[in-house]
Amino acid sequence: MSDDDAELVALIDNELDDSNRTALLARLAADDGLRQRYEELRRTGAPLVASLDELLMQAPLARLRAALPAEEPPRLPSRRFSGITLRDLAAGMIGILAAGAAAWVALSLGLLRERQDWRTAVTDYTNMYSNETFSPLKPDAQLQAIELSALGARLGANLTPENVALPGLRFTMAFMLTYEGSPLGVIAYVDPSGAPVALCIIANDAPDAPIRSERRHNLSLAWWSRGGRSHLVIGHIPKERAVALAQTLEKQI
Amino acid sequence: MTEASRREVRAGLEPSLARLWRYALVLSRARDAADDLVQATCLRAIERADQFVPGTRVDRWLFAILRSIWLNEIRSQRIRQGGGFVDAEDALTTDGAREIEMNITAAAVLRAIDLLPEAQRETVLLVYGEGYSYAEAAATLGVPIGTIMSRLAAGRAALAKLK
Repeated sequence: MSDDDAELVALIDNELDDSNRTALLARLAADDGLRQRYEELRRTGAPLVASLDELLMQAPLARLRAALPAEEPPRLPSRRFSGITLRDLAAGMIGILAAGAAAWVALSLGLLRERQDWRTAVTDYTNMYSNETFSPLKPDAQLQAIELSALGARLGANLTPENVALPGLRFTMAFMLTYEGSPLGVIAYVDPSGAPVALCIIANDAPDAPIRSERRHNLSLAWWSRGGRSHLVIGHIPKERAVALAQTLEKQI
Repeated sequence: MTEASRREVRAGLEPSLARLWRYALVLSRARDAADDLVQATCLRAIERADQFVPGTRVDRWLFAILRSIWLNEIRSQRIRQGGGFVDAEDALTTDGAREIEMNITAAAVLRAIDLLPEAQRETVLLVYGEGYSYAEAAATLGVPIGTIMSRLAAGRAALAKLK
């Protein structure tokens, strides 16, 4: 851990006050090593949040729910209940557990199959974004330019605040993920209501392909490939709007 | 107010279970202790529901109860019993943490979090898992904001070493 880490992390988390932020941004602009460290620390954010989410999925909810204190003080067994033996109860519980296990296996297999393509992975992830994910961020033009420049370098694309700008949307931040070894950049926007929209770019050597679109769950997707990269516009917006945004970006990037 | 408090606490318990368990697991690093801790928290919350201020965040109130039980009762009890928190089979990554398609797998990240000291693990969970601001985390943990900053930086620096 370097001396600057605490301030860099606070900058990433948007927790630095204005004067410290301005000073650190000036140092970042002038210091390659510091910029590299900023990138290293920033890249830990998404996996960290995803891993903590992963722990939530492991919570033994059925057991925890069963242990919740009863709503009312326990009553004496009724005559009707007294006819049920412990063996009956145990058999019922085993049935419930078996059904739950079967559903879990089916769900897991389904998820594994679905995760075969990157759009599905992005859709799963975007589904977790809410109006509070990006809208509280106060965009800083210098920081955005640094983020986009870093993203562009990994993706082999020229990305600037100007060429990712979209009508009616506010660009908030850009960050890097990877999907099966391919760099996957995410450029996040919010609409005036705070709803998130993302442009995802993956360097996957895909052949050029025109814009296509679809609806998945409550999300609209519009994607195209060019120059060895695939692009995806995704958000809780009408499909036509996603296509229009994709057309704008296809011309600009 | 009392009836409203009880109603809100009761309604807030079930939706908070998974998050309470995660917090308990990150603190204790032991799944049996996490289960006990959540159960004790729910019981205590119902007993003390009258102290909850309606309209405030019930999840944060439950977290404070959980933390208090952990610090004052379960942790010391486990230390007295000689039960450590470092058994490999009890660490965060057991129970088949599923891999996700990112540059660092969830399992590797959880292993790295696992190795952090308790205060860092807890701070990382509150800020990155629960969305506490630095000021909220500092107030909750009773430490200066600078301590929150250094704990988070240490946590992220440990993760940055993963390739």
